[in-house]
This record gives sequence, C-alpha cells and structure tokens, in this order.
Amino acid sequence: MTQLVKVARIQLVNARMVLGMPLLVLVCVLAANIAIFVAIGTASPPEGATVTGALVSIYIVTLVTHVQTMTQMFPFALGLSVTRREFVAAAGLVVFGQALLYGVIIWLMSLLERATGGWGLGFAMFDLPFLEGSNVVTRILVYAGPFLLLSFAGLWTGIVYQRWGQPGVWALVLAFGALVVGLMALIGWQGWWQQVFDFFAETPALLLFAVYPALIGVVLAAFTYLTSRRAVP
Amino acid sequence: MSVVNLRGVTKRYRDTLAVDDVSFDLHENRIHGLLGRNGAGKSTVMRMLTGQEIPTSGQVRVFGENPYENAAVLPRVCFIKESQRYPDIFLARHALEAAAMVFPNWDQDFADRLVEEFRLPVKRRVRKLSRGQLSSVGVIIGLAARAPVTLFDEPYLGLDAVARQAFYDHLIADYGRYPRTIVLSTHLIDEVADIIEDVTVIDRGRIVMDDSSENLRSQAVTVSGPTNAVEQFADGHDVLHREDLGGFTRVVVSGIPADRDTASLQVEPVSLQQLVVRTTQFHDAALAGAGNGKGDRS
Repeated sequence: MTQLVKVARIQLVNARMVLGMPLLVLVCVLAANIAIFVAIGTASPPEGATVTGALVSIYIVTLVTHVQTMTQMFPFALGLSVTRREFVAAAGLVVFGQALLYGVIIWLMSLLERATGGWGLGFAMFDLPFLEGSNVVTRILVYAGPFLLLSFAGLWTGIVYQRWGQPGVWALVLAFGALVVGLMALIGWQGWWQQVFDFFAETPALLLFAVYPALIGVVLAAFTYLTSRRAVP
Repeated sequence: MSVVNLRGVTKRYRDTLAVDDVSFDLHENRIHGLLGRNGAGKSTVMRMLTGQEIPTSGQVRVFGENPYENAAVLPRVCFIKESQRYPDIFLARHALEAAAMVFPNWDQDFADRLVEEFRLPVKRRVRKLSRGQLSSVGVIIGLAARAPVTLFDEPYLGLDAVARQAFYDHLIADYGRYPRTIVLSTHLIDEVADIIEDVTVIDRGRIVMDDSSENLRSQAVTVSGPTNAVEQFADGHDVLHREDLGGFTRVVVSGIPADRDTASLQVEPVSLQQLVVRTTQFHDAALAGAGNGKGDRS
C-alpha cells in the first residue's frame, strides 16, 4: 500500500501542472464564455438560463493529460524500477482522487454560478438543468463520473501508444469508430432510435453520468493493465 | 557470490537477434564493465536484467528471482540509461524527488552535494537541460540511490571530462564506503579500465569475453620485433591483431606463450581497450569467415 502511495506521489510530484492545468483551462473557458456573453450583450436573457457545453473542456483536457501519464510518466517511473502493476494501480488511485476533487470543485462553481445569477449574464456552464432537485452527493458524483470514464480512456490510449506506437492508436480509433457506426446502423436497422432516446431521457442522472461511466472506466482500467504487461518503457 | 545470473538468454525482435544465448553472472559488490560496440546488445541485456524487456528464451535471475514485475527485487536495482526520458512537465528537481521516494537507500545529503558539484540547475525544466545536464540527472540518481545493484548504461553522454572524472571519483569513493554491485556500460574503455574489476564483452549479441580484468590483462601481450622471431613466438596462439612494417612485425597475442625466446623481442602489456577492440575484431573476422563458408579472409 505504501509503495502504491509513493508511486502515486511520483505521478503528482509536479501536482501544480498535473492537477492545475485542467482547472486553468476551465477558468480560461469560463472567462471566454463570459466575454462572449458580454459581447452578445443580451440585456435580459430569454426565459431560463442559456446552457453552454463549455464544461466539456475540462473532461477533454483530463483525457489528454492521462494519455501523457502513460506516454511520459510511465517510461520514467519504470526507469525508477517501478513495476507496471504498481504504476497502473497508482494511476487508478490518482484518477479516482482527481475525479472526486474536480467533482467537488465543479459543484462549488455551480453554487457560485447560481449565487451570481449565471455570472451576472444568465448563462449556465456548471449548474446544469437536469440536476434540478438533486442532492449534493448526487451532484458531485454526476460531475465526477465522466472523469473516470475519460481518464481511463486516456490511460488506455496512452499505453496502447506505448506498446504498439502510432499504428496501435490508429487501430484503436478506427475500431472505436467502427463500433459506433456499427451500433448506429444496428439501431437504425432495428428501428430502436425511440428506445435509445427514451433510455437517455429516463435513466436517472446518477446512473447515466456516474454509475455507468464508472463501470466502463473500470473495464478500461483492466484493459490498461493488460496492455501494460508487455509494454516497454 | 553472484547476485545476477543469466542463463541462455536470447532476445529476438521480429527479424533481428539482439541477444543470442547469453550466459554470465554478476558478482556481489564488484564493479563490472559491460563492454561492446554500438548495437552489440548491451542495453538489451540490461533492460532484461531490470524487467523492462522480457527475454524470448532463457532465464534471468536477480537476487535469485525473476526481475520481471517483481516488486521485491526491483527497488534494489537502479538502472540509469542514456536514453532515459523525463516527463515534459518536470523540472530537474522533480526527477530527483521522484527517485528519492522509491529507492530505500536514497541519501539526500549526497544527492545535494552532487547537484552542487555537477552544477545542475534543479529549477530548470528537464526539456531545457543540455545533453550533459540531462546526463548528470541520471548520474546523481544512480549514485545517491545506493541500490545494491546499480547499472549505468552510457551514463555520461555530453558530460565534459571534468564531470566524468567527478563521476568516477564519487563512484569509487562511495563504492568504498557502501559496497554494491555496479555495472558500467561504456565505449570509453580507457577511462574505466582502472575502475572495473570484471569485464564482460558482448558482440553481435554474444559474449566474447567474461573474466576479471586482472586475468584478461595477463592473457594477452603485444609483441614486436623482427617478423621471424615474432612469428615463432606467436606460433600456436591466437593472433588478435597484426601490423607489418618492412621486416618488422607487431602482434597482439592472446594467451602468453611461456618459455619462448624473447631476446630479440619487445613484449608489452596490452591495455584493456586494445584487448577489447582486438578481440572484438578477431571475432567479427572469424564470424565473417564462417559466414562465407570458406574460412578464409579476403
């Protein structure tokens, strides 16, 4: 256990960059949104807040940083006699902690957003409408869930690159694309679109944004470990 | 006692045979030189010793166990390589701090002194370090980690002569106080000749020499003199190298012929570098001859 914490600390030895960078990007995106809404200059916004999808930015940045966890931190850590197993386990620990931390931070931002009436401009970047009426825990978990999914997706992509190089990543992306297209074709062919929409509309936010992403994240974590077994720094 | 054993270790990458049926031991608390040309297989051997590569066949044992994914063995092994990459977001000090966390014998005072001496700008981004400064990061980690098995793979690319000497001096002094098993892999054989106690030479993935430097040095001589006398002297022994100039000949002979007339000859010891270079060439030529299927050299 202590070794695990040590290896996690190696991954966070420059925590300012590792944990701070996605937050910095988030703040910049928020600033950009405020600027845009000021520029548009709607004196009184229409009924309800305008929802922006800008929150997605921090999830994407987190995915990219975890690709680098594998392409840069992994070879370094193995150079320090860390085992692959320890490294992947420690990365999982970091991912869980980070998801929870960001979940709390986004929740705090949503409180701030509400208190300021959508940053004085009536737009919603954090306080998402489908979370209306949810309790604190649900809110934090809903913000945290997608981080798990995307972080482990980043880790797996990174270790695929580490093991099979560029061709491996292309194969992964193509396979993923084929899977999506195949699923869509299947749904269209079977005429399941209505059921799919219903699923997304009716599934509780906690399941849809926290439980399911976390489950997929765990599967991706397993893939990451298996791929790392024969990856060479 | 040996702390590292390789038995019949082979590593094949698709169509290249990087390491070919290699067996040797590293003895406890000795300084070993792992020597050989570029691409001879030195780095691959060390990567297998540290569990970073998996042998295609054969057995690698470190402290009696397979090092691959072995959390009981690996923290006792420190592998410093020239090609080590560091995360882009790291400052130089982050690399040292990380090493301090994982190596149980880490000596922070020693590390601090080495940072001073090698003039390493610890607050600079790793990406902005010069080649020599990057090498000193590795050298500092390798020394301060005090790992029972420490491997240096071409650790001093870009280091100036003063810094290299500082490295050798610290290595010897610290080895004296804290004996450990050290492997030095390098091209600069002359520089390390006085340090290394055991020599393993690898060429084309095969071991061509494996002995203590003392034994090796006593095994070969340079003989020069009139061609006839030199040929008589060397008769029946491996001539590793030969130079002719008029009626005068100079040869490097492996195995010192006893009871032979040396009156008209000049006999000198062979430097380790000479011996390694000549032996490697000798093996290369023999292999080339065998490859032709004729056995003669043109």
